[in-house]
Amino acid sequence: MSKSEPRIGVYVCHCGLNIGAVVDVAAVAQYAQTLPGVVVSRESTYTCSDNGQRSIQEDIENHNLSRVVVASCSPRMHGDTFMKTCETAGLNPYLFEMVNIREQCSWVHTDKEQATEKAKDLVRMAVAKVRLLEPLEKQKSAVNKAALVIGGGVAGIFSALYLANAGIKTYVVEKKPSIGGHMAQLDKTFPTLDCSLCILSPRMADIGKHENIELITYADIENISGYAGNFQVTVKSNPRYVIKENCRLCGVCAEKCPISLPDEFNMGLKKRKAVYIPFPQAVPNYYLIDAGHCLHITKGGCMLCQKNCPNDAIDFEETEAVRELNVGAIIVATGFELYDATQKKEYGYGRYPNVITNMDFERWVSADGPTHGKVVRPSDGAPPQRIGFIQCVGSRDEKEGAVYCSRICCMATVKQATMLREKYPSAEIYVYYTDMRTPGKGFEEFYQRGREHGIVFIRGKPGEIEEDDNHNLLIVSEDTDSGLILRNTLDLVVLACGLRPPEALEELAQKLHLSRSPDGFIMEAHPKLRPAETSISGVFLTGCVQFPKDIPDTVAQSGGAAAMAAALLTKDEIELEPVRAAVDEELCIGCGLCEENCDYGAIEVKKTEEGMKAQVIEVACQGCGVCAASCPQKAVTVRHFTDGQLLAQVTAALEPEVIV
Amino acid sequence: MKKKEIINMDELDPQFKYEIASQPGGEHILKCVQCATCSSGCPVASVSDRFNPRKIIRMAVLGLKDTVLREDFVWYCAACYTCSERCPQDVRIPDLMAAVRNIAVKEGCIHPAYKEQGRLIGELGRLYEVTEFENEKREKLGLPKVREKNEEIAEIYSCTGVGKVVL
Amino acid sequence: MKYALFLGCTVPVRTMAYEISTRNVMKKLGISLADLEDFGCCGFPLESIDHTTYLSVAARNLAVAEAANLPVMTMCSACNGSLLKANLAMQDKNTRDEINANLKPINRQYKGTTVVKHAARVLYETMDTIKEMAHPLNLKVAAHYGCHYTKPSEIYADFEDPEVPYSLEELISAVGATPIPYENKKQCCGGSVMGIDESVSLEMVREKLSHIKKAGADAMVLVCPFCDVMYDINQKRIENQAGEQFGIPVLFLPQLIGLALGLTPDELGLKMNRVSVRNLLKTLGDGNEQK
Repeated sequence: MSKSEPRIGVYVCHCGLNIGAVVDVAAVAQYAQTLPGVVVSRESTYTCSDNGQRSIQEDIENHNLSRVVVASCSPRMHGDTFMKTCETAGLNPYLFEMVNIREQCSWVHTDKEQATEKAKDLVRMAVAKVRLLEPLEKQKSAVNKAALVIGGGVAGIFSALYLANAGIKTYVVEKKPSIGGHMAQLDKTFPTLDCSLCILSPRMADIGKHENIELITYADIENISGYAGNFQVTVKSNPRYVIKENCRLCGVCAEKCPISLPDEFNMGLKKRKAVYIPFPQAVPNYYLIDAGHCLHITKGGCMLCQKNCPNDAIDFEETEAVRELNVGAIIVATGFELYDATQKKEYGYGRYPNVITNMDFERWVSADGPTHGKVVRPSDGAPPQRIGFIQCVGSRDEKEGAVYCSRICCMATVKQATMLREKYPSAEIYVYYTDMRTPGKGFEEFYQRGREHGIVFIRGKPGEIEEDDNHNLLIVSEDTDSGLILRNTLDLVVLACGLRPPEALEELAQKLHLSRSPDGFIMEAHPKLRPAETSISGVFLTGCVQFPKDIPDTVAQSGGAAAMAAALLTKDEIELEPVRAAVDEELCIGCGLCEENCDYGAIEVKKTEEGMKAQVIEVACQGCGVCAASCPQKAVTVRHFTDGQLLAQVTAALEPEVIV
Repeated sequence: MKKKEIINMDELDPQFKYEIASQPGGEHILKCVQCATCSSGCPVASVSDRFNPRKIIRMAVLGLKDTVLREDFVWYCAACYTCSERCPQDVRIPDLMAAVRNIAVKEGCIHPAYKEQGRLIGELGRLYEVTEFENEKREKLGLPKVREKNEEIAEIYSCTGVGKVVL
Repeated sequence: MKYALFLGCTVPVRTMAYEISTRNVMKKLGISLADLEDFGCCGFPLESIDHTTYLSVAARNLAVAEAANLPVMTMCSACNGSLLKANLAMQDKNTRDEINANLKPINRQYKGTTVVKHAARVLYETMDTIKEMAHPLNLKVAAHYGCHYTKPSEIYADFEDPEVPYSLEELISAVGATPIPYENKKQCCGGSVMGIDESVSLEMVREKLSHIKKAGADAMVLVCPFCDVMYDINQKRIENQAGEQFGIPVLFLPQLIGLALGLTPDELGLKMNRVSVRNLLKTLGDGNEQK
């Protein structure tokens, strides 16, 4: 390779006072001037400003620069900016190197002299690397113009509808037999007291009949491979043993079924049969058989449902169906799980019949609940006259593994207390809280209305609940506002359980290579500016899988996720990063270690004329470098991060005098 | 060591808060969020532990009717309206204190100082007695005489029933 | 302009200096005053006993003025607040009917038309004239607004600012004196706690006096007999109790304005002030001689 000596331009940024207050930027720029190959070195207040960028472009032209180094912030912030700057001036963007002297230097150091020396070291390393960079070209890949939405709760429903309405073919995969999620279980919504299913079920029906939506319920995601624009997803749907077209919802099957089970939709407060429909407004709206409990399927011989069905809708021959979906984008909308209140032993949930959870309450108060909407003491069916709510159960509780606030429980409690007040005007209602958090449109007003309705809010979280012989509940707590210790005897206590990431999220996150934040929810691409994107291109997220949020926030985020997925799916092709692995077939011995280690299925060992050789599937490769690191032959390199380039950088770090 | 008293909530009066809310001036009691803007700026609370408007409201909301009516702390409010101007929930604390005092009066817990003022006003029509001595002094200063007694207020007292309480 | 002068209970008995100075200053400014002998207690203390009785007693006075077709001028801020509050309540027809039923046996009715103004507000509204007539006073004066002169703001919608009051300072400036700022200026005099717990009231007074002393005022000026009782009449007592000397002359606003308008100390009742104003007058005299 004969090459003329590279002509390097170095730009050291003050970033206002972000860098300038700690690092002697002028000194760093001056120092850079002394490094081999550096033709021009400048400082600027804001290199990312139009002026800053123009100066780089002018230098590329006037000084015929062949390499550019910018020492400023994280490449995550402005890497793309400067690559475009170079490209516009006619320089291949991969001949640019960025040095982070902000997050990795000025923001974390206070000693100005040492920080300046470190900045010099970092610049010297970048200059050493940039000399060796090669121009790279972006590849293009066709986009499969269909989307997959995982999860059929309110988050999934709305993102699917937004996409489908934009003309995009959308698959919705739901684990349960019906879509609707937790919202379908709620009786009313805060702060408007809209009937939850009244506002949700029309949209559920839309999902069921939309020409651009294919709904796959009672199904699991088996496998996901591919990349933005081109994912392959394997979906396995469980057999329902009921023929949709034949089922007329007459219910004879359930009537005859001898097996009675706790009804999940009603939090186990009601029974259902082994052949059942999850709830009246379920979508799809037909019966199914719970294979795990069906007498015929588990032991054989019953078949009462089949014998009695007037429409031959029961089909015990049905088997699970596996499908391959090809989509360009995926929206993850798998929601949350409610905190398991039995964990909080001091509150006695599961032991004391009159301690219920906020979700139990929703079912008690619902017309389709166990008492047709009458809230009663589970122990004796009496109408409660003294009711307590305890907030932050499983939230803001490090011992229970959730430091975070679940955001919705304060308002949910105000809603439930308000509903109780309507049903029992003379009841005494107490809310034991840590802080009342009501930041939302109309929320504080709703809370105020609750107080005006005589709901007494007591600041002080009870340590425990005790039960007397009549299943009355005894709570001793401090009222921090008055400093008094209060002993309260209550008929019913509702635990405001917090929201948790679903247990099954672990597996899905692994399949999609998604990162999770310490709270267990899926990590968004940027906490402020990219809340509906994940770290994986082409995979978006919405709803409580990202973090607990209420319905309007979820719907808004679903719109954002759908818009971003649509932006990807309306392109014919997308550009792929050229920073990918490459195999030197002469060195490769076909051992297969790289294939074994690759998380993305992007490298395979194949038979060639020269024997078994590793081959990179370019479009799938994410450039992570695991293959290169694991290759015993050093046959795999990652472009833009070659051994030579990295070694030059390391050498420059360790031996400044070698270069200077 | 003084034994700490635990309040049994079923011995309290949960209706007390509504009773106050139905009294002129007490209407906004339930809006209170215990933010403490009132007690922070209260000139009485700043010099005395006997008075804390926020805590009185709290005790009333919890239903500690006996304590609120029988202790004399509600009578400490100077009615300066400093809190009233600032209360973010528009609770109108001095009017609320007056409402609680009105209830206390009905329950036979009138503060003696107010009882005496009420008596004087009822009997004389004014808070301070005006005798010939005062009127002579006024005359010397060139001020007009004032009427020593005004019976009309006693008439009003008999209409409203306050006479039975203070006279 | 003519007003019915509402004396209230305290002024004609305990702070005659306020009454004399008000009458003479108003006369000097061409504002005439009528005395309606049917006026009685404003009702203020009754608000704590029985709301309906309070409204009835207050409205009775409003009815007396309405029958005489005169606006009311009060000197006492508590009277002013009490009458204005009742006046606001009486704008509601149901309340008016209820209260008028109590006034019927004494042959009175209130239609809701009476205007009530504090004497200080009347002076504020005459400030241009005062400025023209005033001989500047070379004094540093601390304004004490008290409470009911500015609050509750709903009854003073078109006058004063409860958080940043201004009228007294502007009037102090209008007579050539210097209003001086001091800590916790809006603090209450504690007068209405006097009957409940003297020590609390007196401590409130002590705080205020020491703030004013620290600010270096020659005098404080106020507009309410209740406040005057606390700061002037009780000053000596507090000095004795606290072992702290204040010696702050306490002037009613009309006394200050009257001095600038050239009224004599007798016309302003200055001899009746408990904390001696002799030195103050001397300072003023010296200042005038120098000119």
